[in-house]
Amino acid sequence: MRYHNDAAITIDGVSKQYEGEGGTTTALREMSLSVSSGEFVTVLGPSGCGKTTLLRLVSGLESPTDGDITVAGKLVQGPDPNRGTVFQAYHLFPWLTVRENVAFGLVEQGVPDAERQDRVQEMLEVIGLSNFADAYPKELSGGMKQRVGLARALAVDPDILLMDEPFGSVDMQTRRQLQDELIDIWRDTDKTVLFVTHDIEEAVALSDRIVVMSGTPGCVQATVSVAESRPRNRSAQWFVDQVETLFERIKSNT
Amino acid sequence: MATEFDPVADSSGIRSQPTTTTAFGREWNLTRLWYGFVGTAGFLAVWWAGGREVPSYLLPTPGEVAGALWAELVSGELLVHLGESLLHYIPGVAVGVVAGGLLGIGMGWSLVIDAALTPVVRVLRPIPPLAWIVFAIIWLGLGHTGAAFIVFIGAFWITFYNAYEGVESASRDLIEVATTLGVDTNRRLLWRVVIPDALPGILTGVRTSVGQCWMMVIAAELFGAPGVGYEIITSANNLAMARSIAYMLVISVVFLLSDWAVRRVRSYLLDWQQ
Repeated sequence: MRYHNDAAITIDGVSKQYEGEGGTTTALREMSLSVSSGEFVTVLGPSGCGKTTLLRLVSGLESPTDGDITVAGKLVQGPDPNRGTVFQAYHLFPWLTVRENVAFGLVEQGVPDAERQDRVQEMLEVIGLSNFADAYPKELSGGMKQRVGLARALAVDPDILLMDEPFGSVDMQTRRQLQDELIDIWRDTDKTVLFVTHDIEEAVALSDRIVVMSGTPGCVQATVSVAESRPRNRSAQWFVDQVETLFERIKSNT
Repeated sequence: MATEFDPVADSSGIRSQPTTTTAFGREWNLTRLWYGFVGTAGFLAVWWAGGREVPSYLLPTPGEVAGALWAELVSGELLVHLGESLLHYIPGVAVGVVAGGLLGIGMGWSLVIDAALTPVVRVLRPIPPLAWIVFAIIWLGLGHTGAAFIVFIGAFWITFYNAYEGVESASRDLIEVATTLGVDTNRRLLWRVVIPDALPGILTGVRTSVGQCWMMVIAAELFGAPGVGYEIITSANNLAMARSIAYMLVISVVFLLSDWAVRRVRSYLLDWQQ
């Protein structure tokens, strides 16, 4: 078990409202959550429960209407490469090769050429795409694209990884594989992960802690700790039971 | 802007069976080539039959046109007049594309510039480039500079419009990704995301400019600037219709060549897209 003590992410009484034509929509209401350094926390909930909004607030792409989000003791006021973000739709830069996509953040940080190339090469090896370094995103499968998306976020060595349903667009087989790879990377690198999904099994397989959200407006409905060691056997009784319990929980609230 | 000269019209996907692609981006196979040959022969036959019936000053035959073209070529006059046309075409297109592209990028990106210039742009943009000929004449005279000015206006608005659209519709998602990766200035965002994302649109503007501006060139020359268009009108005034048509064909050839060249550059720059 990892050593969890100082809070890497603190979400304190955060609300988010959108002004629309039909009036005000509340996406999140007084949400509070604390994620420890090195912890893998998954926010689980049905679509429309505000979990993506929560992640966007933590990444700094949007600001809360109320409440504060602090990361490593500092108030979040905008995006920062120290909070690497991985998106469901990959959002790779189509005009850049795999290598250039992975290098994007390093270039912006002014990392010297030689060091940058080493780092990119290292990342390409981690995600197993060294042979595709000079391919353009259009030539890649969904799973490969998301590996690049992950490597691009990891290249600048962020303390925190924010993942918005990252494996939601790939097939079952690839999803499992990516989940395993993510766990390996997470174990090797000591990152704090805030992961968003609607896939209960995925949440149980990956997380230290699962935050169940219900909508609308979104708020925390329950928090479940999963202490089992990884890799987790998905056919073990505890796993099946946990998935079932969470399923019932979400169902009773929608 | 959809005229019969529109060089982008053929990318609309009317042809549905991909075979091999070669010259001018069309699909070629033997059947198509054969039909093309028959069609061309039929066209020339009708032209020839018509030209035989009427005096040459009304409609010269294909043979007479070919003869005139050959004569212009060997005398070197053709190259001289083509050179004159290029002397205002190239600078006009180059400056117009760069200036229009920059303004389009600026207005597409900056809300302040957009708000400030939109009224002026709305009023000036619909004015056909040729309407500016009066200013070209009184400011610059109808030499190379005046004609280049007309060409410039044509290229300017076409590129402006495409660049503006491209930048304005640049992917918000990719801009967000860039900010999460540490891009925090407008300059870097433009350079790293917005302009690359708008490049396909900008290059469409360049390509359309390169095509449409041949029309501007000819139009300016019909008013008296030296060049191929001037030869078309003066030959016709002298009832030398074969020579006139020969120079019309020259325009067609340089149009196709310049369009082909731009397409090559475009597919090179956008190799990530195909």
